[in-house]
Amino acid sequence: MQTTLQNTSPNKTASQLFNFWESFKKSGTGVVGLYMIIVILILAIFAPLIAPYDESSTANVGISDIYQPPSAQHWFGTDDAGQDVFSNFVYGARVSLTVGFFAAFISLIIGGSFGLIAGFFGGRWETSLMRFTDIMLVIPDLPLTVVIVALTKPSLFNIILVIGLLGWTTTARVVRSQTLAVKSRKFILRARAIGASKPHIVINHILPLVMPILVVQGVLVISLAILNESTLSFIGLGDPSVLSWGQMLNYAFGRGALSSGAWWALLVPGLGIVWIVLGLTLLGQGLEQVLNPRTDTHHLMPSRLPLSKEALVKPLHQNTLFEVQNLSIHYVGEGKAPAHAVEDVSFTLKEGELMGLVGESGCGKTTLMLALLRLLPSAGQIVNGKVFFKGKDLTSLSEEELNEIRWRGISIVFQGAMNALNPVRTVGDQITEAVMKHEPKFPKENIPARVTQLLELVGITADQRDHFPHQYSGGMRQRAMIAMALACNPDVIIADEPTTALDVMIQAQILELLDNLRKKLGLAVIFVTHDLGIVAELCDKVLVMYGGVTAEYADVDTIYNNPKHPYTQELLKAFPDLTKPKKKLSSIPGYPPRLDALPAGCRFAPRCPAAFERCHTEQPALHSIGNNNHIASCHLVEASK
Amino acid sequence: MSTEHFLEVQGLKKHFEAGRPALFSRDVQKVHAVDGVGFTLRRSEVIALVGESGCGKSTLALLLMGLEDPTAGTIKFEGQDITHLNDHERKDLRRKIQMVFQDPYESLNPTQTIEEIVTEPLVVHGFANVPDRRERVVKAMEDAGLKPAEVYMSRYPHELSGGQRQRVVIAAALVLEPEIILADEPVSMLDVSIRAEVINLLAELRITRQIAVIFITHDLGSVGFFADRVAVMYLGRIVEIGTMLEVLENPQHPYTKALISVIPVPNPRLRHERIILKGETPNPINVPSGCRFHPRCPVAIESCKASDPPMVTLSKTHQSACLLLVK
Ligand SMILES: Nc1ncnc2c1ncn2[C@@H]1O[C@H](COP(=O)(O)OP(=O)(O)OP(=O)(O)O)[C@@H](O)[C@H]1O
Ligand code: SF4
Ligand code: SF4
Ligand SMILES: [Mg+2]
Repeated sequence: MQTTLQNTSPNKTASQLFNFWESFKKSGTGVVGLYMIIVILILAIFAPLIAPYDESSTANVGISDIYQPPSAQHWFGTDDAGQDVFSNFVYGARVSLTVGFFAAFISLIIGGSFGLIAGFFGGRWETSLMRFTDIMLVIPDLPLTVVIVALTKPSLFNIILVIGLLGWTTTARVVRSQTLAVKSRKFILRARAIGASKPHIVINHILPLVMPILVVQGVLVISLAILNESTLSFIGLGDPSVLSWGQMLNYAFGRGALSSGAWWALLVPGLGIVWIVLGLTLLGQGLEQVLNPRTDTHHLMPSRLPLSKEALVKPLHQNTLFEVQNLSIHYVGEGKAPAHAVEDVSFTLKEGELMGLVGESGCGKTTLMLALLRLLPSAGQIVNGKVFFKGKDLTSLSEEELNEIRWRGISIVFQGAMNALNPVRTVGDQITEAVMKHEPKFPKENIPARVTQLLELVGITADQRDHFPHQYSGGMRQRAMIAMALACNPDVIIADEPTTALDVMIQAQILELLDNLRKKLGLAVIFVTHDLGIVAELCDKVLVMYGGVTAEYADVDTIYNNPKHPYTQELLKAFPDLTKPKKKLSSIPGYPPRLDALPAGCRFAPRCPAAFERCHTEQPALHSIGNNNHIASCHLVEASK
Repeated sequence: MSTEHFLEVQGLKKHFEAGRPALFSRDVQKVHAVDGVGFTLRRSEVIALVGESGCGKSTLALLLMGLEDPTAGTIKFEGQDITHLNDHERKDLRRKIQMVFQDPYESLNPTQTIEEIVTEPLVVHGFANVPDRRERVVKAMEDAGLKPAEVYMSRYPHELSGGQRQRVVIAAALVLEPEIILADEPVSMLDVSIRAEVINLLAELRITRQIAVIFITHDLGSVGFFADRVAVMYLGRIVEIGTMLEVLENPQHPYTKALISVIPVPNPRLRHERIILKGETPNPINVPSGCRFHPRCPVAIESCKASDPPMVTLSKTHQSACLLLVK
């Protein structure tokens, strides 16, 4: 059966190569490495043209030619046999590269197939192959190579074979672990479900994702092989019929170059080896950066200096705990248009109040919440607006002053954090650590009691306190995160999508927990979610965001029973309502705007069923409706007033 | 062929070995992931399998797809026993039963173009060189709502939205003209605004292509309007099965009642008392005695600890396994 997909057009490969080159260019060291290797390649390929003298030419050599210092005739001097060092160096590049490439080829074939087979087929294959690999790995390569080469006839062919046959172990391990990782991905299961054969899966799905690793590994194996050959030659086990750089070193060393002060005979081949190994290592690193990029983690770095020091602006509303005024946040990146992630968002929060923040993925919910405590990643900048907490403007506080408020005044249950608990420490330990870190003055002897109390608050029993995170279910891990957030008795808790990956029953439990906590402790809660149903069950008021702006903001009853913004209305229609089963759902065609390329007018205009001309050219302002703090950003609202 | 026997599952079990409780202990612990499931599926019918995580839904899906080998029970397709076919014998069947996975971000190979992804099933099944290969791919893509197909063909998965990726997965399933689509939580990773588009698509396909759908989900709310029947699973068993209306409007099993009560209703005026069960689905290694739901059941009686309730027939289409229903 033929197994490859034949429609891999040349275009695809070409554009992939182009993209690859574009990103490779950015890694400075990789490009340097590449150029270093190209220099050696040119030397090797065009050796007869470059070298001023023939390979190992001993014609017309007299005793006076031995160890001649560098001169116009012999740029790098002559060696022990009176030969031109530069010419020998140029031809030596051929030997080094030959050994490197062929030995690496052997290693990669063996290591690659061992790794692939072990990783993909698992079971007995894996056990035996990996055990063999482990044994090979503990045997030190170089001494064994030395022994074998010493016992066989030292020809270049034998050297290549031995280096190749011994150098595959790391490749096997790396390829196996990458294969395992790829194999566990869902698209492999999907391919099996389609009925794809094993060879088909390996060729079309595993190999393309293992290949990058293999390329990086290949570069490293080449450099190792070159180094091994040089070592062998240097200790006199090289092929006497070819002159490699190691061989040159060996002769120079053994035949009195040092005592004759002929440093050039040692330095030139030595530098050649350093040059090629360094070049390959740099190239390998560069390739690794492009082919195997580590994902940019969401670093929680405090954002830069506060915008303005003047504390002239005052909160507009009295009796509010928390007030956000016209907050705008941009993500800036070198050479990229700034992403307007949040624009002009305002809201207020009273003690014990529960606000829902709703919107689609990427609409800026997390960004807004992180900005409240200035925890944005370094690219994120507050470009406008104020955040008042108990009358203080958080955007103009110093880092130390803000630390007093983080966790104690306002604490955050970060999105996805329940999956980021440290797997090797018990949950109790991790909560203890949180208490000690954020409440350093807390009496040490009372901490265990405090931890138990916190866990109890969220419904985790004392006997589960010393369990590890993997012994907890998703729901329990989320409870533990909430317990951590409660460590310093905050006034406000921000919960970023705390129920998103959980089952409906567990969701209901977490919601009940948050609701009880606010009643018991008088907490104000900001509940971030994309699920309108949950908000209706729980919240007092709702902020609906779309593409970084406030679409609508009102009390919960108004949002559900008298929504004014078309986005809110459409979102409600898309929500399945079991009180009216058998009703067809309506969806909102299209998808949210890219924040670095926003439409000129209303951000919802491309998807809005009610859009008219003005919407495409002019951004709607926030309009208030009636007098009970109901606002919406839509031209229609203005028109109807 | 009788439409009743399109797909017939009886007494299906899958027990995984979970290692030994102690180093030298003799008995191997077993995870009772699926523990006696039976139901039938008619042509172009939509059945929803509902239950919490850990109730065995996904294992059941893998069993039906032949990606796991059942411990006991039978699966019949069009009257033929397909329980223990090998890969070779299953090949033709794989064409007829296709699967859509939960996570559209993970179930597409990032190095393939959309065209390659949708074409792959044809290649695998030896239709790589049929003259209408391209038309088939285009039709599948357009039926899955990727219109016009040309716009998407040369793109890579990361250039599509979540809803569009799920459409690609569905297109790759449609290209083989299957008779059953098994969808395992196909919308739970998607935003609400695009969930409806995927559900509507599946609802359309059953009409335009007479495809039967097995829709696996933890959220009864998301299938409310388009499933014909619902089967509620708890700890490896079906505890209630009936038509959508029977189950939604007249749930009989205490677990079903609780599940329905916690479905969020998007209207604060309809906030109601919810039956929030304590704890979580127990570990399927130590299945509780008697009725397996008794430790969490809010209305359990004494006898629930000892006797395993039988399936009680409530109407021609409605059955439930609870001792309170035994007359
Ligand atoms: N470090 C960053 N650099 C540049 N852009 C970013 C960065 N972090 C987020 N963004 C962009 O900012 C926008 C808002 O992201 P944010 O994480 O706030 O959305 P969200 O509403 O929380 O989404 P979700 O529901 O997926 O959690 C997105 O377009 C995102 O791609
Ligand atoms: S301003 Fe126009 S496009 Fe925007 S929501 Fe209102 S009607 Fe729709
Ligand atoms: S049999 Fe008993 S425990 Fe089981 S569901 Fe019925 S009442 Fe509850
Ligand atoms: Mg977020």
